[in-house]
Amino acid sequence: MLHRVLALLTAVVILCGPVLMAQAPSGTKAFDPKAVDPETAIKAAAAAAKAAAAAAANWTPPRTTWGDPDLQGYWLTATYTPLQRPPELAGKAFYTEEEALAAFKKAVESDAEVDPRTVHYDWKEYGMDAWQSPVRPNRRTSLIFNPENGRLPALTPEAQKRQADGRAAARARNPQVGVQTLNNWYTRCITGNNAGPMTRGGNPGSDSAAGAAGVTAEAQIFQAPGYAVLIMQSNSDARIIPLDGRPHLPSNVRNWLGDSRGHWEGNTLVVETTNFIAPGTNFLGGTARTKLTERFSLAGPNTLRYEFTLDDPATWTQPWSAETLIPRIDPPLYEFACHEQNYGLMNVVKGAQTREAEAEAKKK
Amino acid sequence: MELNPKYPMPKLGGHRPSLQCVINTVGAVCDRALAIATIVTLCITATPATAQAPAAGLFPAYTAPRAIDGKPNLNGIWQAFITANWDVEAHPAQPGPHPEIMGVWGAGPGGQSIVEGGVIPYKPEALAKKKENFEKRMAVKATNDPHRYDTGDPELQCYRAGVPRANYMPFPFQIFQTPSEILMVYEYKGAVRTIYMDPHREAPTDSWMGWSNGHWEGDTLVVDVTALNDHTWFDRAGNYHSDALHVVERYTPISPYHLKYEATIEDPNIFTRPWKISFPLYRRVEENVQLVEFNCVPFVEELMYGPLGLYKPPSR
Repeated sequence: MLHRVLALLTAVVILCGPVLMAQAPSGTKAFDPKAVDPETAIKAAAAAAKAAAAAAANWTPPRTTWGDPDLQGYWLTATYTPLQRPPELAGKAFYTEEEALAAFKKAVESDAEVDPRTVHYDWKEYGMDAWQSPVRPNRRTSLIFNPENGRLPALTPEAQKRQADGRAAARARNPQVGVQTLNNWYTRCITGNNAGPMTRGGNPGSDSAAGAAGVTAEAQIFQAPGYAVLIMQSNSDARIIPLDGRPHLPSNVRNWLGDSRGHWEGNTLVVETTNFIAPGTNFLGGTARTKLTERFSLAGPNTLRYEFTLDDPATWTQPWSAETLIPRIDPPLYEFACHEQNYGLMNVVKGAQTREAEAEAKKK
Repeated sequence: MELNPKYPMPKLGGHRPSLQCVINTVGAVCDRALAIATIVTLCITATPATAQAPAAGLFPAYTAPRAIDGKPNLNGIWQAFITANWDVEAHPAQPGPHPEIMGVWGAGPGGQSIVEGGVIPYKPEALAKKKENFEKRMAVKATNDPHRYDTGDPELQCYRAGVPRANYMPFPFQIFQTPSEILMVYEYKGAVRTIYMDPHREAPTDSWMGWSNGHWEGDTLVVDVTALNDHTWFDRAGNYHSDALHVVERYTPISPYHLKYEATIEDPNIFTRPWKISFPLYRRVEENVQLVEFNCVPFVEELMYGPLGLYKPPSR
């Protein structure tokens, strides 16, 4: 069964053509997609959310054997909650529990629905829709809570000019695509979906599971004396976080995953990451100078509270912050040898080049 | 030498090693073992071509400092200083494949064999394949089918190194230790290995870095590595294996600054019998030392996709 799923995934990736995405991890859990239908999944998610809230009462956060707060385990960053608050919810930061469940139900049903005329392939056939995972409803109407309106802050004049210049340059290129000009680091297997902030929110109504809630959203927190390590299933990205107060790398030494330093504030792990090479799509327009601050703490035995702040004076008129609750999941993670089997990239670029050549021919 | 005041360096025989001691090795009254360790380190760092596992008896009996669970504490950043990545067997220095543009930058250092008995026990037909591998070690074939792996050295294309090669790539790696899992993160490619200590877990499918279950035998961490795919090589010389590869690794602390690394390599498709490699791993002790990302994917995109016309935007 497992081999069949992998073979199917490979076939699917090869057939994907110009859809901008990389392939699935090298290992994927054997999964019977027919075992769970959306209705059952919605009920289970509601029950899991209730159980998590109940478990958080009268509970003492655990410590590692060497005395640090213990955040270790496997976690799922998928969420249907959008990064930005939808305009119709202006002024409303939180749903009631019933409203949260209704919003979750709506998102799951829309995610599960597939138009057979246009679909490249149906993610749920492979157990890869988020509702087939332990994703939970969320009372927040948006992940962003600062600014208070739940929306990204205004762009600085510099960022507006940068983005306008970028669009003009793309038009002037008339249009030409090569691996070199693809700014999607995930498609190129340089970093995974969750490099930078572990989640950037769901996009209800999106026709791809990746857009709807996030796929390969599994993560692991590993701790040892003096260190925390954050491992993302997506691209098997591992971020090593020293906790000893050492200075950052010099500013000329830059990493795709940045350079992280952490410290404890009570039971919260605070991680500051700088020295990025190019944050790209995962940073919503931020530049390499973006500073990412993350706060990890347990909100219950099986729930991780994850907050992040992005600060880039070259891009946003103010730092902005988002928060989500992340459910615990079962081990393990699998190797995600993305570049080693990047069958998709060649077709992505070939497809884009063909479309551009056709468009060019039409103009003449 | 106190690199991290919160998490002190391991002590040796009750004496706290000091940086002073390391610097003043020659003529200083130091702990003997530390002095030898330092001399070995310095010598091997200076002339990597002569590196080999320390002879038996070089180190006095050693008891490793304990982690909190009472097991030897292997936490730290480690690195091999041998030339096995060029060839695990004995090899002379050699020019690189393109001396006309790379000069000495592409050249390979000479070195001694890390293989017990010196030579890998290939089956005759497998030895021929090894030689063919070497001849086409720079072949690159980016395709949409499994032929993409029927090429030259996987390292050239920034593929994960596999086990045991990841341990003697010329890059450090870091060990993070807990009672239930031990994590190894390799600077080369940022590759990750989880060693399941308790509970052991079953491999779901073959992968580049394989599937590792571990246990302690005295002060030795023994790791059973299975489910390795057949795409990795042992070195740039074309030494290779099939997907029947089974590696049993042994990590034994022999001083505060050294681990003895041993691995038994078994693959009945390719070799006439199991064979063994060994070499020391050295602790990286520089102040604030850390892995610096080596994400080589962007370094190979032009090599891999350029010939297909996919790297640079086509000019019109």
